[in-house]
Amino acid sequence: MKRLLTIAAALGVAMSVGTAADAADRTVKIAGFGAMSGVVRSFGINTQAVMQAAAKAINEAGGVKLADGSMAPMEVTFDDDRCNAEEGISVVRRLASGDAVVGVGPTCSNVAEPLFGILQAKAGDEGDSGLQFPIFTDTAIKGGLAKISEWAFRNVPNESQMYKSLFEWLASQHPDAKSVYGGVEEDFAHSRFTWYKVMKTRSADVGYEVKGESKWLLNDTNFTTQVREMKRAGADIIAISAHPFTTCGVLKEMARQRVKYKVLVGLTSSSSLETLNGCAKQAEGIIIPTSFAPVNPEAVAAADAAAALGGSADLHSAAAWEIMMILKDVIEAAGIQATADSVQADRMAIRDGLANLKTTKGLLGEIQRTDEGEAVKPYVYVHADDGSWAVLHDPNA
Amino acid sequence: MSDFWWDVIDPIQSVLDGVMFGSIYALIGIGFTLIFGVMHKINLAYAAASIGGAYASLAAFQLLSAPALVVFLCAAVASGVIGYAVYICCFRFIPEHLPLATLMASVGMLILIDEVVVHATAGMPEPYPAMFDDVMIDLEPFWVRGDLLMIFVLSVIAMMILLYILYRTRLGIATRAVAQQPAAAQLCGIGQQNTNAVTFIITGALGGLAGAMVGASVGILSPLLALPLTVKGLIVTVIGGLGSIPGAIVAGLLVGGFENVFQYFRGVTERDIYVMLLLFVFLTFRPQGLFGRMSTRD
Amino acid sequence: MDFYYGMAQLIGVHTLLGLSAYVVLLTGQVSMAQAGFFAIGAYLAGMLTVLAGWHIVPAMLLAAVASAFVATVVGFPALRVKGLMLVVATLAFGEAVRIFWFNFDYQIAKGNIQVGPLGGEGFKQIRYFPENGWSTADVALFIWAWVIAAMVALWWLDRSRVGSVLRAVGEDELAAQSVGINLTAVKVSAMTIGGFIAGLGGAIYAHYTTHIEHLNFGVILATFAIAYPILGGLSSVIGVLIAVIFIQGFLVEVLRFMGDWRNLLFGALIVLAMNVRPDGLFDARAMRTLRRLFGARDA
Repeated sequence: MKRLLTIAAALGVAMSVGTAADAADRTVKIAGFGAMSGVVRSFGINTQAVMQAAAKAINEAGGVKLADGSMAPMEVTFDDDRCNAEEGISVVRRLASGDAVVGVGPTCSNVAEPLFGILQAKAGDEGDSGLQFPIFTDTAIKGGLAKISEWAFRNVPNESQMYKSLFEWLASQHPDAKSVYGGVEEDFAHSRFTWYKVMKTRSADVGYEVKGESKWLLNDTNFTTQVREMKRAGADIIAISAHPFTTCGVLKEMARQRVKYKVLVGLTSSSSLETLNGCAKQAEGIIIPTSFAPVNPEAVAAADAAAALGGSADLHSAAAWEIMMILKDVIEAAGIQATADSVQADRMAIRDGLANLKTTKGLLGEIQRTDEGEAVKPYVYVHADDGSWAVLHDPNA
Repeated sequence: MSDFWWDVIDPIQSVLDGVMFGSIYALIGIGFTLIFGVMHKINLAYAAASIGGAYASLAAFQLLSAPALVVFLCAAVASGVIGYAVYICCFRFIPEHLPLATLMASVGMLILIDEVVVHATAGMPEPYPAMFDDVMIDLEPFWVRGDLLMIFVLSVIAMMILLYILYRTRLGIATRAVAQQPAAAQLCGIGQQNTNAVTFIITGALGGLAGAMVGASVGILSPLLALPLTVKGLIVTVIGGLGSIPGAIVAGLLVGGFENVFQYFRGVTERDIYVMLLLFVFLTFRPQGLFGRMSTRD
Repeated sequence: MDFYYGMAQLIGVHTLLGLSAYVVLLTGQVSMAQAGFFAIGAYLAGMLTVLAGWHIVPAMLLAAVASAFVATVVGFPALRVKGLMLVVATLAFGEAVRIFWFNFDYQIAKGNIQVGPLGGEGFKQIRYFPENGWSTADVALFIWAWVIAAMVALWWLDRSRVGSVLRAVGEDELAAQSVGINLTAVKVSAMTIGGFIAGLGGAIYAHYTTHIEHLNFGVILATFAIAYPILGGLSSVIGVLIAVIFIQGFLVEVLRFMGDWRNLLFGALIVLAMNVRPDGLFDARAMRTLRRLFGARDA
């Protein structure tokens, strides 16, 4: 019995939540979380590096100004949620029980969706016992998630708008291209949403004839049948809504079957190093709209700072850099205390501050914020050019 | 050609592609069936070890380049080593009368191998070398993928070598003896532990080749591959008949072709439901599988 | 405190999942179908509270009865085979259930949003608990009431004649048959009870995560379901609870401070545990020790 009790006590100590820091050394605690394991590990690594790089830059410039005028450093922690809904919920409950004032994450939409569900739907609603903890998402991109809760905010690109303007631009650049054919990773929520609700409808709006779509699953390995359907459709534009692993598999099969097309369009999330690592040769020329590219000194500096800490700034992780800068401004405007007793009040102040934002600064220019907590970010079109991503067109220029 | 002809040609082409791809399922199925035949236990880490071996071969040739065939052989060797490690960690020291413990240990091993791969590569897809991947053999109106044909041929060669080892060498005789009568085999001076270990190494090597073939046919490796291969491999094993190597081969090709037919007619979202139905049909009407003997022990 | 209540919820739900596999394992059957029953419970209960506006308790019970029914129906053909064949057959069934929900759309308008399961995009906004003002502690207590009820019922079952019958079938089918035990009836009953408990677990799962999608109910969840009783040991229901605490509490939460090493240790420690305690973490000897501690005489 004694041994059991000892084990139980040890478990209790190990699981205990860190106690609040001493009032003398006040810090603003920002809690990052995301996937550090499984096939999405690189996302977590990048976000963590970018957040730490941003905190370093902020702290080197003096830190964050608190309500009483003193300056406090920002401290970033990062937890792994394994891209698993239950674990994501546990991580956020742990963070909410600790002294972090805001959470930044998660990586996966299938974690974000349940996570936003356990938050209070309407801030200040006494009848709703949901968690009251602000979350600012950098990566999980599936459309329309932030409206689930008023405590949820996202700084992810608005795919609907990006693809609409991409298809409009393509229409002006390739007047001979008349039809679109899709390829969709059918069992992955984000890819599916982006094809059916974004690419397909947006290209039809622009006046393209949508000739249909080929479907595959996210861990499929054999794409012969799907690519034959694609070839048979003979569309001018091929739009692939899939993540790097199957995007590469399909592109390789398309090369084998010598599928002819005028333009190849890819999913936002595929404009990362993964695609080039997996199939640079076949991906050559693929056009993807993205909310990040190192096109100005500020963006280059952010990318370099992340690289110095072992991460790469791409459209997902660069959003974390912007989030850190936005949080600094919001915290300074809201004037938080950052003491052990003020944690919940600070969170509330940050939430209100985020909710009231109409525009924020971004690495590529000004970001609009919607009432639902979503962002409308500036974007550029990149294409795979000789094994790296190069900016093809900047609609704002 | 008219649409009507395409409607005839396409399904046939789909079956053709599926059957060729099925040779990979067959290789994985053989691994499961062989270990089951010898030890009457399931090694759930098998497909993960196969993919792990393919990754290891990639790592070995990160700096110097080598012909694809050398990389494939290296994957087989690496996977053989992983197979031995799986044997030591999950089978060697766990009492024989506790099959559930070995089952669970092999699940732990599956998770471990996958996670090691993820840590080494940050989960990113890695390009894998292929042979003849730009060759398309045109047999108007059909065509055959050069690399799939090569995979098919290599798989058949590997299975021939395996059958040769099992039926024509002392090692094979020992393996089959342990499979049939462990006690009697021991009395004849055949070390059971050694035979088991060798079985794991041989099946591991075969799995490594399968892993390399998967990598070659898709062109990229990802940790995503291990789980679906495990499931398909197990289905192939059962349809082929437990412990039957020819059964696993035929079942592998059958499942590969079958899934492509249903993908063609019913779409990818329903495809796997029909593969499961095929399995249920076998379990109900022919529980011993294609070539299996009706056995009373489990 | 909220975090601990959250952990208690998670451990409770996984204990139900483990218990559902435990009953079936007692009869010597390794069922990989538990994730499928869990999914049925989750989707049905979610639909009943969200779409039909039911109270959670009747919704859970009906969902659990439905899973139990499916388990019975599946039990008859599946239990004709055993060993590896059964593992694969039940695995295939579980996957078929998952793919069914992947293809299942049923949405109705509620206010200005569409609610209900939507195939590959999942079933969101199952917010019965927060909408009705249940605190994290309330939910944890509610879940544990079910867990304790299930554990006590199984504990009692285990000690009664039924338990002996189940274990007799698990130990030696031929011997059990020769003393007049109807194998099919026993196995199908165990499967039905397992289906019921898994359905309860799934029903709670849908409500405490608020969003479910088919990928949550895959092979990995099915593997965890059987991992709990195997890792914990089949000597009693306590083993399942201990294994859930070991995996979800220790390997996942306590080791979190180890960062990247946690994921590598996860698999490695399972391998190690099975080598060191092949009978389970909480085997028959541990059970006897525990009984002695509470003053009970050895049976």
